[in-house]
Amino acid sequence: MRLYELSARDIASGVRGKKFSATEVFDECLSRAVACDGKLAALITTTVEAGRAAAGRIDGRVSRGEDPGPLAGVPVILKDNMCTHGIRTTAASRVLGDWAPPYSATVWELLSSAGAVLLGKANMDEFAMGNTTSTSAFGPTANPWDVSRVPGGSSGGSAAAVAAGYTPVALGSDTGGSIRQPASYCGIYGLKPTYGLVSRYGLIAYGSSLDQIGPFARTVGDAALAMQILARHDPRDSTSVPGKKIDFTCREGALKKKRVALVREFRGFTLDAPIADAMKRVTRLFEEAGAEVVEVSLPTVARYAVACYYAIAASEAHTNLARYDGVRYGRAAPGAAGLKEMYETVRSEGFGVEVKSRIIAGTCLTEPVRSEEYYVAATRVRTLIAEEFRRAFESADCILQPVTPSLPEKIGEMDEDATKGYESDLYTLPVNMAGLPGFTFWTGRAENFGEKTGLPVGLQLVGPRWSDGELLNVGFALEKILGAPKIASL
Amino acid sequence: MSDKLTFTPVIGIEIHIQLKTKSKIFCSCSADYTNDEPNSHICPVCMGLPGSMPVLNRAVVRQGMLAGMALNCKVQPTTLFFRKSYYYPDLPKNYQITQSDLPIAADGWLEIKDDAGKPKTIRINRLHLEEDVGKLHHSTSDGRLEGAETSWVDYNRSGLPLAEIVSEPDVSSSREAVEFVTMLRRRVRYSGASDVDLEKGMMRFDANVSVKCSDGRWGRRVEVKNMNSFRALEHAIEYEIKRQSEILAEGGEVLQETRHWNDAKGVTSGTRVKEFYRKFIVEPDLPPLVVSPEWVEEVRATLPEMPADKASRYVKEMGLTETDAAVLTDSLDVARYFEACVAAGANPVRAGNWVRTEVLRAVNEKHVDADALAVKPESLAELILRVEDGKLSTTLARQVFDAMLEGLSLEEAVKKSGAVEGGMGGSALGDLVRATLAANPDVVEEIRSGKDAKGKKVKFLQGLVMREAKGQARPDEVASAIEESLKPE
Amino acid sequence: MKLGGEEVRAIAAEARLSLTDEELAKAVRYIGSFLDMVDRFKELDLKGVEPFCFAEAAECPLREDSPAAFGGMPEILAGRTEGVGSFFKVPRIVEE
Repeated sequence: MRLYELSARDIASGVRGKKFSATEVFDECLSRAVACDGKLAALITTTVEAGRAAAGRIDGRVSRGEDPGPLAGVPVILKDNMCTHGIRTTAASRVLGDWAPPYSATVWELLSSAGAVLLGKANMDEFAMGNTTSTSAFGPTANPWDVSRVPGGSSGGSAAAVAAGYTPVALGSDTGGSIRQPASYCGIYGLKPTYGLVSRYGLIAYGSSLDQIGPFARTVGDAALAMQILARHDPRDSTSVPGKKIDFTCREGALKKKRVALVREFRGFTLDAPIADAMKRVTRLFEEAGAEVVEVSLPTVARYAVACYYAIAASEAHTNLARYDGVRYGRAAPGAAGLKEMYETVRSEGFGVEVKSRIIAGTCLTEPVRSEEYYVAATRVRTLIAEEFRRAFESADCILQPVTPSLPEKIGEMDEDATKGYESDLYTLPVNMAGLPGFTFWTGRAENFGEKTGLPVGLQLVGPRWSDGELLNVGFALEKILGAPKIASL
Repeated sequence: MSDKLTFTPVIGIEIHIQLKTKSKIFCSCSADYTNDEPNSHICPVCMGLPGSMPVLNRAVVRQGMLAGMALNCKVQPTTLFFRKSYYYPDLPKNYQITQSDLPIAADGWLEIKDDAGKPKTIRINRLHLEEDVGKLHHSTSDGRLEGAETSWVDYNRSGLPLAEIVSEPDVSSSREAVEFVTMLRRRVRYSGASDVDLEKGMMRFDANVSVKCSDGRWGRRVEVKNMNSFRALEHAIEYEIKRQSEILAEGGEVLQETRHWNDAKGVTSGTRVKEFYRKFIVEPDLPPLVVSPEWVEEVRATLPEMPADKASRYVKEMGLTETDAAVLTDSLDVARYFEACVAAGANPVRAGNWVRTEVLRAVNEKHVDADALAVKPESLAELILRVEDGKLSTTLARQVFDAMLEGLSLEEAVKKSGAVEGGMGGSALGDLVRATLAANPDVVEEIRSGKDAKGKKVKFLQGLVMREAKGQARPDEVASAIEESLKPE
Repeated sequence: MKLGGEEVRAIAAEARLSLTDEELAKAVRYIGSFLDMVDRFKELDLKGVEPFCFAEAAECPLREDSPAAFGGMPEILAGRTEGVGSFFKVPRIVEE
């Protein structure tokens, strides 16, 4: 087995036990990344120097008999919307130029102080707006299982990198499915934690009341390991909730007597056959393992959540993206004759068309004449959605549902029909509306499905707030039955 | 017909005050940047860097509550922050975080006197918390915005804590406006919520002015911005009342607009910008602000007696005049000094005279608060008692006070002034009187010959002796010593 | 509800965006389908429903008032697009 194929747990214990060095691991992972990235374009920035120096420091500590921490020498990749001190951070937009943040996101501080080593910054949809990783100013990322297809998005670079074996763990952010959907498309595990569990400090905001950072991994255990480090109250993020102790130890026997719900309103929607089959197969697995399969009803979610999501996300986004104006950092317009010209030059040239459309939508919905009808109405609908989920979880411990109705499409296929993309978000967006945890797990590969045969098939577990540990326990049990995904061969 | 028209102004005032804290409202940058380099107090939060997030300063909430209480507002148990969007280079995020319509304090009032001298209540709609913006510097010599080739931004002020106070449109004249903001400023300063130093820009005004014509026509509301002093507020309001009245008098229409006060020219001018574009969404990075009843009461307990209450107590209980009481209560440090002086045994009227003359002079000369003076109120009380007992003349006591201001103790200062215990009397005074008479034989002769019926010449001699005695002699003793010496030998 | 090209262009201008004709066409379609979608809210009776602000009844945390300088001030200045001395430079301010 090559070093890059190891799980994060095995790498950390190997480095701590001096079976191999952090530098050896870093170099093998780096070679793997370099070998694959020509085809995948999963990385915007590869942090060769900084990463190797950090790996060297880990080795130094091990040789001095110190413990570098639970992620000792584990190479990781961050989505490029997480600030890294002194390392270019772009949010995949031209508007930030070569901006190097003067500070690091809390999540990176936590990972690096646990011994993790940065291998690179991952490609993404510009400002996390999209579900294909095709709106990036740096070009699209490809799906490692079929490079003609999208890896999902917006955290597609992180997902593709983990699936292809660049690193065992990567971080993504999920505003409306941006971890869960690419995890499914790339055939790995991805957790979108409960809103407020992981600090957003240093995450370049898209929809601030929806955004949440979480891990991608090829084993449930690695996702849990990352969460053990990331799930921590951060006084710099006022929405980070204090006093939550969540057990991420992955215990056995999680399925017995578990009340697993199917959503009545989702039954009528069309799914690609491999996804429908996976739903049936996993439902049966639950029953066989002693879980109770029940049904919950989410009518408001089914009809209004998508609209509500876009209204809230666009309204928040247009304020979050107002700061990119050419005055303080990022792209500039040195020749501009006046203020208005500077603003319009920087923003019109700096933002891609998807981002511009969403900014205009958010501006439109929050106009004083429309705000009550749209923005404020959306915040009220959101209350109904959260309430509906809360009631549903009185009779269920978690919900089993698809992540997307179909398997990954070809790169470029989705570009024109934006609203079709929106309907495909029905299984992911509502989770963010209510601040719930959602976990994507790999179930296997599509069989007998034409040109999509062999593509990975993922499903999703959704739980009540703070059930993140429980979701991973269920995922751990399913991983034992279904097996963990292999690294995509490229 | 038109010469009989009268115009009634309707004025609401918005006041921004900088709350007194050590750090900014949403980050830990120092709030004190006086004399520091531009952009030396900045961080990811107050610069709006991508990924940064606001964390609310507890002291800002407390100071906001205090200021609200000083204005008779009710503290609101649950409030929220919003993002108010507009593009301007002094606003790093291109939105301002503000409580706006869900303020920390609401429904207050102050009582002023109207132009006829009758009591009048000015209602206060609210006091809300928000962040300040950076400072723009323009390159034209006269500081105009338009025409400047380049502007420079200093973000040291960005993120300083502000309270915006919004009055109801109860003000009817520029004089009332000035009285209202003067009283408001004094009360806020008393509360300790802000230093409200106008010269340092800690208090800024906008006014909403409209005019109602006696024929029933109304002018639209005009928002006048950019007043940084009481005088500017007064003049801007007067200018607007006159401008709007003239338009209505000529049958014209007053447009709803935002106008800019140009202090140098003494005029308001239209900004050519449509009314400031206000868009609000909830600030998703800050959960609702909740203040417990316990905290509110804890803060209320620290609110000092307000100046008007103090002044009326001084008049009623201490026998001071209303004018003196107003002077003494203008700022809390002076009022406290006065009260300590009285508490140490000084006669209130005498103490009042001393404080409003010598103490205020010292405070102004030294640019310090009264409590920082070297002369403690207890020492002043002792000095006043000595004057009252006749141990020191008033003139000499002032010299003693001055010496104490330089750091001497009461005893040292008395000694340095050359004052003799009990003053100059007995043989020393007799010697001085005799020497004075001997030096002015013509005057003595006139008095003795009975030509000084009005006693002017005697007064003249008394004056000479008093001056020579350098304040150590008591006037009554000098008078009797002269009288004694003038008796025929 | 539908918005025409000029309305969308005006909204874009408020967001300090100028659009090419092609971008405008896309934005008009986008806003159109967007508004169709959010028009669904009108089916609901939202009277008495509180706006949702946060995922659970959280209170705004408060920080102590202790000043601490951010060490990376020179890095912020180094990231300036344009500057003079320690100032940030912006072009002539012309009121639109």
